[in-house]
Amino acid sequence: MSVAQIEELALERQQPTGGLWREAFRRFRRNPAGIVGVAFVGAFVLVAIFAPLIAPHSPTEQNLLLIADGCCPGPSREHLLGVDELGRDELSRVIYGARYSLVVGVLSVAVGLSIGMLLGSIAGYLGGWADSVVMRAMDILLAIPSLLLAIGIVAMLGAGLVPVMIAVGVATVPIFARLLRGTILGQREADYVLAARSIGVRKRVILTSHILPNSISPVIVAGTLAMATAIIDVAGLGFLGLGPQDPATPEWGTMLTTADRYISTAPFLAFFPGLAIVIIVLGFNLIGDAMREALDPKLRRYD
Amino acid sequence: MLRFVVRRLVLLIPILLGLSLLIFVWVRALPGTPADALLGERATPQAVAEFRVRYGLDRPIYVQYWAYLKTTLSGELGTSVASHRPVTTEIRDRFPATVELAFAAMIFALAFGLPLGFVAAKRYRSAVDHGSLFLSLIGISIPVFFLAIMLKYLFGVRLAWLPTVGRQDVLVDAEHPTGFYVLDGIVTRNWNAAWDATQHLILPAIALGSIPLAIISRVTRASVLDVQNEDYVRTAHAKGVPPQQVDRRHVFRNALLPVTTIIGLSFGILLSGAVLTETVFAIPGLGSWLKEAIFNHDYPVLQSGIMFLALVFVIVNLIVDVTYGFIDPRVRVS
Repeated sequence: MSVAQIEELALERQQPTGGLWREAFRRFRRNPAGIVGVAFVGAFVLVAIFAPLIAPHSPTEQNLLLIADGCCPGPSREHLLGVDELGRDELSRVIYGARYSLVVGVLSVAVGLSIGMLLGSIAGYLGGWADSVVMRAMDILLAIPSLLLAIGIVAMLGAGLVPVMIAVGVATVPIFARLLRGTILGQREADYVLAARSIGVRKRVILTSHILPNSISPVIVAGTLAMATAIIDVAGLGFLGLGPQDPATPEWGTMLTTADRYISTAPFLAFFPGLAIVIIVLGFNLIGDAMREALDPKLRRYD
Repeated sequence: MLRFVVRRLVLLIPILLGLSLLIFVWVRALPGTPADALLGERATPQAVAEFRVRYGLDRPIYVQYWAYLKTTLSGELGTSVASHRPVTTEIRDRFPATVELAFAAMIFALAFGLPLGFVAAKRYRSAVDHGSLFLSLIGISIPVFFLAIMLKYLFGVRLAWLPTVGRQDVLVDAEHPTGFYVLDGIVTRNWNAAWDATQHLILPAIALGSIPLAIISRVTRASVLDVQNEDYVRTAHAKGVPPQQVDRRHVFRNALLPVTTIIGLSFGILLSGAVLTETVFAIPGLGSWLKEAIFNHDYPVLQSGIMFLALVFVIVNLIVDVTYGFIDPRVRVS
């Protein structure tokens, strides 16, 4: 046996399992904060999928008799979270709202992630003028505060759920592009890349099957944390009235706009959709933090 | 030092040029033509043609961009479609409200975030430390507008301790020479007005400052923990400097460096959040102005407003960077 093989064996004995991902998963499972995050997000995913089964009423069904004495009757046995200003069951609306927040959150991050990763890998791997052009463009986008950038894009596309999704996604592009470029630059000079290049592996293959897999973990962490901000931003745009234009849509941010008007008589109308946003965002933040620690234990110094 | 500042200023030029190009293209991509927006939908074809010639819209696009650059640089920002007032006047009226709000939010975030982070680091892994981490996690997870609504309900409606609408009570007799209402009250020695304006600021500042507060306390904590292990801190302890003095002089001062950067970055969060906070508390600032501009299809306002806020954001970050170089000589050299 060569010295290298002996060292490898010794290392293997220290770390019982192989593979970055299995190791990371093991560490993640031991982190209580991460488990709580998964529980929160998992609960919301289930609620979103099974909304028609869980919700006691339809989110759009109006019962005007309920608001005959003014807005709005508070929580009761029949309507656990009360009734909104149009006589609709608040609990059912909050439950159906999970669908919009989750889908729009996931899709907008997907938009930002795919464009950002494409630009970031071009900039990081090609370098030179491609790098300069992409990164200067990102600097320009970063000069506009993110919510304003999103507002500007919605102004261009018109209000609605899809424009909001695109806007929030595009606003996150610079974050992913910068992050991926940075990690790729770090990996580009690594020994294994030099080795691949010296045996004549093509540039594109080096990028896709050598460099990208090794640069992906910070992007996954950033993507999870971006889900949290995306859900907040989508709700924020909805609150400003730029979200779904059909008032029947039970989107949490849009619900808060009307709730704000009835705040003195029916504070519960604002409280529950808001609480739902806080819990799901908290969930994604907890998962993101735990994943960061699991994927890169070196970063974990004091927490 | 001067060279550092000049270099940073020069680097700004391409960013601002690119920004102007982006906004120029963006305005042309907005639904509806400027003629529709300014003349209304029932304008005659002849009026539209005249309009196009008058505003140079019949000329090639690069000529239009050049003209746009020249007028913008000369400070001519157009007229609001909704209010028929010059955009510059509107900015002058509304900018102080947003600055005052952002400033108050930042003071709140620093006043609570710095001590919280410092104490958490000193009592590392104690209940206080865990509490501060939990609080900062909640801080970044709670939407600004939701916190604003809840504060409005609790302190404005339920307890009725603080006002929740606008910047000044209509019954308060006040002059506004600067536009910064708290400052106005102090300058004109109208203490009643100053106190009233301060009260109006408290809830919006808490709502808007919640995210920077969370980030600042987290960064301060990590930074203090880092600095505590530095050689110079151990040396100070070893030569018998009283612990409190070490904390103050060696630990806290050095731990502040990363926080400076965060203050600059948080400014973008504050400007974004101002749109939402001003909406909830009916504050006539730049944020609520831009929000209204979208619904009015007020493109001159959107164009200049977003450019203006981006400019402010870029300048604030430049100032923070320069300050950083000023406090920490290591940055200047590299």
